[in-house]
Formats: sequence, C-alpha cells, structure tokens
Amino acid sequence: MANIAAQRIKREFKEVIKSEEVAKCAIKLELVDNNYTELKGEIAGPPDTPYEGGNFVLEIKVPETYPFNPPKVRFITKIWHPNISSVTGAICLDILKDQWAAAMTLRTVLLSLQALLSAAEPDDPQDAVVARQYKENLDMFKLTARHWTNAYAGGPSVNSECDDKIKRLVDMGIEEHQARVALSSYNWDLERATEQLFS
Amino acid sequence: MEEMAASQENDSEMDCSDNEDCYDYNDYYNDEDSDVEHIDLLKIDPEYFEYKCLSEEEIERLLNETVEDLSNRLRISLSLAKVLLHSHYWNSNEVIVKYEENPQQTLISSRIDPPVPPRNIIFTPTHMTCPVCVTLHHVDRFFYLSCAHMFCKDCWTMHFEVQVNQGISTAISCMARDCVVLAPEDFVLKHLQHKTSIREKYQHFTFQDYVKSHPELRFCPGPNCSVIVHSNEIKAKRVVCDQCKTIFCFRCGCDYHAPTDCQVIKKWLTKCADDSETANYISAHTKDCPKCHICIEKNGGCNHMQCYNCKHDFCWMCLGDWKSHGSEYYECSRYRENPNIAHESVHAQAREALKKYLHYYERWENHSKSLKLEEQTLGKLRARINEKVMSGLGTWIDWQYLFTAANLLAKCRYTLQYTYPFAYYMDAGPRKELFEYQQAQLEAEIENLSWKIERAETTDRGDLENQMDIAEKRRTTLLKDFLDV
Ligand SMILES: [Zn+2]
Ligand SMILES: [Zn+2]
Ligand SMILES: [Zn+2]
Ligand SMILES: [Zn+2]
Ligand SMILES: [Zn+2]
Ligand SMILES: [Zn+2]
Repeated sequence: MANIAAQRIKREFKEVIKSEEVAKCAIKLELVDNNYTELKGEIAGPPDTPYEGGNFVLEIKVPETYPFNPPKVRFITKIWHPNISSVTGAICLDILKDQWAAAMTLRTVLLSLQALLSAAEPDDPQDAVVARQYKENLDMFKLTARHWTNAYAGGPSVNSECDDKIKRLVDMGIEEHQARVALSSYNWDLERATEQLFS
Repeated sequence: MEEMAASQENDSEMDCSDNEDCYDYNDYYNDEDSDVEHIDLLKIDPEYFEYKCLSEEEIERLLNETVEDLSNRLRISLSLAKVLLHSHYWNSNEVIVKYEENPQQTLISSRIDPPVPPRNIIFTPTHMTCPVCVTLHHVDRFFYLSCAHMFCKDCWTMHFEVQVNQGISTAISCMARDCVVLAPEDFVLKHLQHKTSIREKYQHFTFQDYVKSHPELRFCPGPNCSVIVHSNEIKAKRVVCDQCKTIFCFRCGCDYHAPTDCQVIKKWLTKCADDSETANYISAHTKDCPKCHICIEKNGGCNHMQCYNCKHDFCWMCLGDWKSHGSEYYECSRYRENPNIAHESVHAQAREALKKYLHYYERWENHSKSLKLEEQTLGKLRARINEKVMSGLGTWIDWQYLFTAANLLAKCRYTLQYTYPFAYYMDAGPRKELFEYQQAQLEAEIENLSWKIERAETTDRGDLENQMDIAEKRRTTLLKDFLDV
C-alpha cells in the first residue's frame, strides 16, 4: 500500500509543479523527505479577502493508506479563520475528513483550502472564538484576520492601532503572540484583554 | 389439597432454585393471538407485548425474505433491492410505491444511480491509467459502478479494505471526487473474494447496519448477547431476552422505564448524571433513629425500618413515624411544591428547584438501591431454604411461593422506581394528583410486601400471597392509567 502512496505523491508532485496555479504563484508544493511521506505546501491568500498578500505554509503528512485515506494537513502559519484553529492550525474541512475521495489529489486539497480562505463556514467552526467574532462582528473579524496576515504571513501592514495595543501589553511583560491572542479574542478591547491576561 | 394443586402446577419448574426468572410473565403471551384476544390481554396487562427473540441466522433469513420479495416484485437484482430497503428503513411498501411512480428518481435518491447519467463509455484504448494508483493497466482490469467511474481492480479492493477496517460498510461510496454512488454488497464482495477476514468483517458490519436501520428489530443490549428482538409494534414496551434475561425497552433499547417514556427517561438520566455531585450527599447507607438517635444501617430493601435499640418503627425516606404511612394517604412519595414560588427571588426559586429535584432523585435512587439489597436478601433466603430442605423441612416446591413473591417484589419496585422521573416532569394538576395518589398506594403496598418477605419464614403464606396480589394490582392499575405507548 505504501508503494501506491509514494507512486501517487510522485505523480501529484509533478502535477502541481506543472500546474498553472504554480505559474501564477497561487500554490506551491515542496518535498520534506525523500520517501514522499511529508510535504510542505503553500497557498497565497486569495484577493479581496483579509488574507490577501499573505503566504500560508501548510504541513502535509501522507498516511500509509494514501490515497484511500486523506492526507493530514494543518496550517503552520498562524491564521485567524473560523474553520482553522488559531492555536494548533488544525483544519475543519469535509474533504480532509469523510468527504475525501481516493481520486482527489494534493492539488485539489490546496485549491480547496484556498477556497476555504475565501469562503469561511462559521456554522461548522474549528475555532469557536473566531467563529463567534465572525458571526457577531464581521468588520472586527476582518480587521483581526488582516492583522494576523500581516503579523505572520507577510501581508501588508494595515492598522497601526492594533500594533500599538500589542506594544502596550508587551511593555507590561506579556509575550507578543499571547498579547495578540488576548486582544483578538476581546475585539481589541485593551482593558478586557489586560484583565484576562492578569487574572 | 391446595398445596397438592400448587405442586403439580409447578412440576415443570422443579429447578427454579437456580433460575431467578422462573416467574416468567411472558410465557403465556408467546402464542399467536387474534386481535380480539390481543385487546383483552392489554386490558388485563398494560405491559402486554408480542415479540420474538431471534438468532442472527433467523434475522438474516427474515431480511433475505424481504429482499427476495422486493426483488421479485420490482424485477430488480437482490443487491439493488437490499440497498433500496436499507435506505427506506426496510419499508417495502414505501419502496414499491416510490419505485413504481418514478424508478429513476428512486434509484438516484437511494444513491444507486448518479444524479446525472454518465456519458457512454467508449473503450478505444486497450490500456489506460487508473487515476488512483496512477498505473497503466489493461482495460480488462477496470471496474465501475453505475456512475461509470473506472478504477482498477486492486484499487477497488484496497478502497474496500481501508473502509471496512474503519467500520464503514453500507455507506462505502465510489472513489471519484464528488461522486455519491454507493457500492452495493455484491460489488464489494466480488472485490474482497480473496480477503476472507475483511469479507467477514464487512458482512458483520452490513448486518449491524441493516438491523439498526430496521425499526422492527432491536439488538439485545445484554453483554455478549447476540439475540435480536423482533416485533411488529414499534413501542416502548418491556422485552425480556430469552437468552441472557436482560430486560429492556423495545423502542430505545435502554433499561425498561414504564411509565416514563423514552425521551423523558433520557432527559432524566442525563440530568442525574449532570447533577451527580449535588446528589452524592444523600447516598448515605446509615441514618439516625428519629427517636433514640442511635445509628441505623439499612441492610435490606424495605423502607419500613425498625430501630434495633428502641423498636421504633419509622420510614427510611422521610424519617416519619411508620404508623402515618399506613393504609391511608402516603404523603412520603409526594413532593409538596411551594405555592408562592413564582413570587420568590431567583435565588429562592433555584433552591426550590434543587429541592424538588432532590426529592424525586432521592426516591429514585433509594428504590434502585433497595432492588439491589433485595437481591441479596433473596440469596440469603435461598441458602436458608436449602438448609431447611436438606434437613427434611419440606421440599423446594413447598417454598417456591417465596421466590415468586421475591420476583414480584422486584418487578413492582422496578416500576415504582421509574414512576419518580415520570412525576418529576409532570405538570401540576389533577392528573398529577391522581398519579401521585396511585404512586403512594403502590409505595405502601410494596413496603408491606418487602417487610413480609424479609420475615418470610414466620409470615403466613396466605397473608403473603394476599399481599402479592394487592401489590401487583396497584402496579397494573397505575400502568393502565398512565402507561401511554
Ligand atoms: Zn488502480
Ligand atoms: Zn462514481
Ligand atoms: Zn440477551
Ligand atoms: Zn424506551
Ligand atoms: Zn431507636
Ligand atoms: Zn416516609
């Protein structure tokens, strides 16, 4: 079985390298080891989304039963999205679970993940805090997601106010990422974030 | 004379001493009855229920007959008939009506055919690449479902193996992207031809799926029991497994729960599990005598306690004088709600809600414990009777009535236990008053019976049999009025 997995990955790797998406720099795929069991993926944040301008790195692990079972994929780059854990990078996407089909490929997966960045599904959340913000305060969500894209995925800088608030917490001795998480979770309310961090 | 008649009647149950369930109420239901008789039996016994305990082989035969019948009537393959039945909860008539009205749509909605018919397959090449294993094979090696998505033989086999190992059987679909077509049994089995253990697993899982999707079938929940119960009536009725003697509700497969219905008992058990912390303090096995304050341990099922020190008779549940629990109204089981609670503070209301819950929970829990204690009493009783028989004091048959009484007590107390969740969720009003009145009556008679059985060797047999009769009458009266299935 492992033989089929390696055979498939070899083929899929070539498929992605030659694809028009790679030509357009929308997706990328790299081998991590020589036995085709682990790969590094990369997707560009889709235009007209808070992820625009960012590049998101993915960890792709190929199970021995591939392609009869889906690859195990998670975000390495920290991201603020209802269907992706802001802590672990775990992804809630049907094709990576029970809707996987053996005829699907890594290219399908990367493109589906890119589509997920364009169209979140807050009713099927992976990260409950993000999903709640998305549903209750969409503008706040967009601001936060853009901020994270800037901080972790190399996206453009947008709102200096957020950076100032983080700096205030960092000055109080809070680690930067922890400060960002607290502020993001409390809609950038410095007082409540501080309260939570010091409670 | 009476003794003689009784012993002849019981001749066939000579070995009852080691069979707890010899007092089997279901024995006389098992014949096929006409509708008239059926109604009469329901009047006598509100728990009357016709069912059969069958083996896996018998169920397989039953399912196969249904499949064959449908296959003949619609002139479709057996495998197809099976998928159709499974997706329609084994309702043949529904399948027939739907199929005769619109066969195409029925096949699509049952995921036998794809929503869009496939393009014609034209085999121009002699070889092609399988999209799953990306290997070039001769076209002979390719197989496909109604959707015409072609994959090589080895990939199908591997696909089924992986799915079956994950416990999936009737829900295995095609390997193509976004294709919802299901792989029917014959297709799967053909590809697992040389994989004996996987094939067996697959057949085991499909059988489980079929039984679970069949509303007239229920797996016996008893540990390691393979019995499947069949009944034409899908009701919350009492089933006793022929093999392992487990008693359960036919509709939900959980512990039998009359007079409470399936949803309510689920709600109650969830609540009890959630509130177990709060309720823990009441699970004490000892209480102080309300008169002389000596510590009394409850070691039997009976709630009628007698202090070994001062001989005061009191009630274990409410610590009230037992005399007040006598023949008249039995206040102990009823919860008296504060009539002005709506005007009280939120805090007081929360306290009242907890008090109310604890009242019912305490009684529910207490009867459950009593059942266990009475089981121990029965064991001791058996040992004592064995001694008597050994030393020539009568035969097992002479003492049979005591086991009958103990079994009846267990049955009555079981129903009584399940009256508490029922009462807890009941709306206040005359119906609840009637219910709690009957519950109290049953409660009183059961404690009398328990008291008499604990002192069985000195109790008059006629007296005991009379008490049995009264208790069972109270139980059936309550069920007749409130068991709504
Ligand atoms: Zn193949
Ligand atoms: Zn297909
Ligand atoms: Zn059983
Ligand atoms: Zn039930
Ligand atoms: Zn006392
Ligand atoms: Zn009492």
